Amino acid sequence: MKGRVAPAVFLGIPTLFLAALFVLPLLSMLVLSVWRTENYHIIRDVSFHNYAVLATEGAYMTFLMRSLVMATAVSAICTLIAWPVAYGITLYGGRYKLLFTLAFAVPFLTGEVLRIIALQGLLGPLGLLNGVLLALGAAPLRVIMYTNVASAIGLVYLYLPIVVTVIYLSLLNFDQRLIDAATIFGASPARAFFEITWPLNLFGTLIGFALCFIPCLSATLAPRFLGGPNGTLYGMAMAQQFGESGTWALGAAMGVVLFAVSVLLVVVAARLVDLRRTGFTGFGRG
Amino acid sequence: MSMKLGKWKPGKIALLATVAVSYLFLYLPVVHIGLASFARNSNFPYPPKWSLDIMTRLLSNSLYQTALGNSLLIGVFAALLSTALAGLATIGLLRHAGRRAPVYLALFIAPLFVAEVLLGISSLIFNGLFLGLQGNIVSAILANVVHCFSYAVLIIATQLYRYDWRLDDAAMVFGASPARTFFEVTLPLIWPGLLGAFIVTFIMAFNNLEISFYLLGATPTLPSAAWGALRYGVKPELYALATCVNLIVFTLLAVMFVLMMTGAATFGHRPERERSAV
Repeated sequence: MKGRVAPAVFLGIPTLFLAALFVLPLLSMLVLSVWRTENYHIIRDVSFHNYAVLATEGAYMTFLMRSLVMATAVSAICTLIAWPVAYGITLYGGRYKLLFTLAFAVPFLTGEVLRIIALQGLLGPLGLLNGVLLALGAAPLRVIMYTNVASAIGLVYLYLPIVVTVIYLSLLNFDQRLIDAATIFGASPARAFFEITWPLNLFGTLIGFALCFIPCLSATLAPRFLGGPNGTLYGMAMAQQFGESGTWALGAAMGVVLFAVSVLLVVVAARLVDLRRTGFTGFGRG
Repeated sequence: MSMKLGKWKPGKIALLATVAVSYLFLYLPVVHIGLASFARNSNFPYPPKWSLDIMTRLLSNSLYQTALGNSLLIGVFAALLSTALAGLATIGLLRHAGRRAPVYLALFIAPLFVAEVLLGISSLIFNGLFLGLQGNIVSAILANVVHCFSYAVLIIATQLYRYDWRLDDAAMVFGASPARTFFEVTLPLIWPGLLGAFIVTFIMAFNNLEISFYLLGATPTLPSAAWGALRYGVKPELYALATCVNLIVFTLLAVMFVLMMTGAATFGHRPERERSAV
């Protein structure tokens, strides 16, 4: 039954679907980004006016830089926390490994708005942390209310679960007998970790990093509800072009910038590491 | 477990402490708002004065009732579509793609690497400007399917990865039609992967704000109603709403856990690579 029909059905339908509803919209965003919006009307003249605005108006550059710094810091923190957590679960989880990983999925699947509400319950002016401080007779902590620190805590909270899950899956597929082999040949646990475990799970770690970095770069909700007046990030500014200001074309250009930065990151990461040496086995069965 | 690591006590303690602190960080806000939504003193419910007032207020709010209906609609249809498409795609990848498998895989998981808000905005531009469509629930479902599809492919792939396709060949050698082979051999063996994908994509589409928001126009969903209310400050009803959704997600994942523990379903477990196996 290896006819011509089966591949067309099995691969063709999903490919067509993605082409129509994923690739075409992204292309239309690209097209809109070289048009103009005036008084809520779209003017279909090709020009790079929007990109010129983004490059010359200082505020947009500040937002982009702030977003890049924020996304890098949050992804680094998430990776740093996620590694010991995922490694701890694989080593000591025993038969409860599954429970531990699913427990990470519960907050992840609850949706961004509801998790931001939960975070407000933790960090907000009337939240748990300040409530405890007030109950103890101390002054409320100002650093965590409507600041960039609060945004960063919020983003770590939002994306830690996905990083843990990705690194955990990488460790699960990693052949742990290799560590035994290394220790038998006299490597210390630290050496076995840095020369076997870390390099062979680098690919999974990079995917986890990217899956945290990309949504953080385009974050719209966390900076809006947790960040302060100096907390505007690029994604939040982009969302405003489609809401309050109605300047869709400029927003589309910002979308293209965000997309380009994300793609650039993935390409650079793929170039930097030699895939075959990082535990990437492709999609073959092995 | 490695003997060396068993002796390496400080490391073990540090690892387990990190795990514990991370769970505390993730669950503290959830538990806090959970208590707050069942208490009269909702700002600082320690100790809680139990009351069902907030829950009653939430459940009698007609906006949230409409929003719940819309969210359920989006969740169910997006999950059905993305599970079906991802099932096709994964079988295609493993059986029919041959050398081009990496190309197809890259395409199928590409939506993972595009932020949700960009998916929402680009679909809005495509629908609004190029197709001339007003905001509607079908567009929202389809745009959610794009995002959920990639997650579904990954979940189903972990299951199908270990599936022995010779079973299908055997059935067909004995004269079964491809359709009959699928329903009587393949499906009974791979349903846990499909169910897992369905559950996860349902929860994702149900809770999605950034994709649905731009495509729905004025139609409220649960997340967009919550988002609207959040702009005017956090109210106890929002705590109650988040707690209800948390409980639903928790229940669904608990069902998955029981299925997996009892061996009725397995997701990507590879016993031959466990250290104790050899």
